[in-house]
Amino acid sequence: MDTKELADWIVKDAQPVRRLSKPWLRTLGWLAIAMPYLAMVIVMMAPRPDLAQKLVDTRFLVEQLAALAVAIAAAFAAFTTVIPGWSRWPILGVSLLVSGWLASLGAGCATDWFRLGADGLSLRPDWICFPAIVISGAAPALGIVVMLRRGAPLRPGMSLALAGLAAAALGNFGLRFFHPQDAGLMVLVWQFGSVVLLSAIAGSIGAIVLPTRRMSPLR
Amino acid sequence: MCAILGTAWDEIGEWRNSGTDADCAWLGKIASPAGSGFVAAMKDAGQNEHLSALMRAAQGGDQSAYSALLALVIPILRRSIRRQRSYLQPQDVEDIVQDTLISLHRVRATYDPDRPFIPWLLAIAHHRMMDGARRHVRRTANEVTVENLPETFPGAEANSEQESYRDPEELRQAIGRLPAGQRRAVELLKLEELSLKEASARTGLSISALKVAVHRGMKALTVALRKRS
Repeated sequence: MDTKELADWIVKDAQPVRRLSKPWLRTLGWLAIAMPYLAMVIVMMAPRPDLAQKLVDTRFLVEQLAALAVAIAAAFAAFTTVIPGWSRWPILGVSLLVSGWLASLGAGCATDWFRLGADGLSLRPDWICFPAIVISGAAPALGIVVMLRRGAPLRPGMSLALAGLAAAALGNFGLRFFHPQDAGLMVLVWQFGSVVLLSAIAGSIGAIVLPTRRMSPLR
Repeated sequence: MCAILGTAWDEIGEWRNSGTDADCAWLGKIASPAGSGFVAAMKDAGQNEHLSALMRAAQGGDQSAYSALLALVIPILRRSIRRQRSYLQPQDVEDIVQDTLISLHRVRATYDPDRPFIPWLLAIAHHRMMDGARRHVRRTANEVTVENLPETFPGAEANSEQESYRDPEELRQAIGRLPAGQRRAVELLKLEELSLKEASARTGLSISALKVAVHRGMKALTVALRKRS
């Protein structure tokens, strides 16, 4: 088939399509699904007893704000990766925000160390973090995957890693409203570690969840 | 709209001669063999707006706008691919152009008319080129170049009848048991060896419907004959 014939065939197949919304609008749409779910999880798991005090604790607020910012930025960046021709600035922005989040957690560790000495940096098993983040991030993860599948799977690994990061960071944001664990090193290792692990897992299955054959002539 | 879009599939050179309005002038820039006009043209927001407007209409199902858009896009793609992959043979360039057109069609919902069209298009083309390069590497890794193909006529193994089915009557019966649509597709495309286009003209079915029917028919035949054997 020559190119002209192919183009004729494509034109005949041209049905009206629903245009994909802008990434920031899609991010808002995702938050509109994710936030009520997160609120429901927090209510079901019972908010932590000291929540009122925590809401005026600067360190807690900074760490939570950083997690939320990473979740929103990662979701936005994930939506840009399924649109051909978008710049990579959003991905760089996510890297910077993750660094900022990490720095805020690092500052928490340093504060604990100055305040409590070596005891402030004790590390105990806290296995609940991983499943709790998975549960809190489940609906956001499902939502973002469904939304990403409407786009062009140009870089599925990157798209899914960002989606995983968005869902896990949001899950971690929710977790801290019902899981009373604020020790700097514990948060860094168990919570931030879970977020990184979930993002890596998501990135590794990107090609399965967002198969590039969806835009390939050989599908 | 100038005459150019009416004869959208003509060569760019012809377009330049026939055009009289702004569209024609734009095409002239695109087709400039010096190449300098191409980059300059792409930088011009007006040209991008023109393509963007066509794509917007195509997203709404306007087939004439889509046809005009593809006619404009094909030379842009050829030029871009040739520039980036100068070692490719013309037929390989054409393969990537066709791959890109199909991808463009499949992901056309992702185009946002508020953003420039060319970067969107070239990002798809880049993706297809990378896929093409991966395919090329895979293919060359599994191919062995030989000076002379060995003579195999006297060898008994080379004279096996693997290419023909053992029991033609059984095959005929299996084809006869297929649903009418699949049977017709198999007969036309596999037995009479018509092209998809010819079979489409003869049956009135679309090419994609024929592809599906022949695929399902062959699958059903394989299952039926395997059961028997």
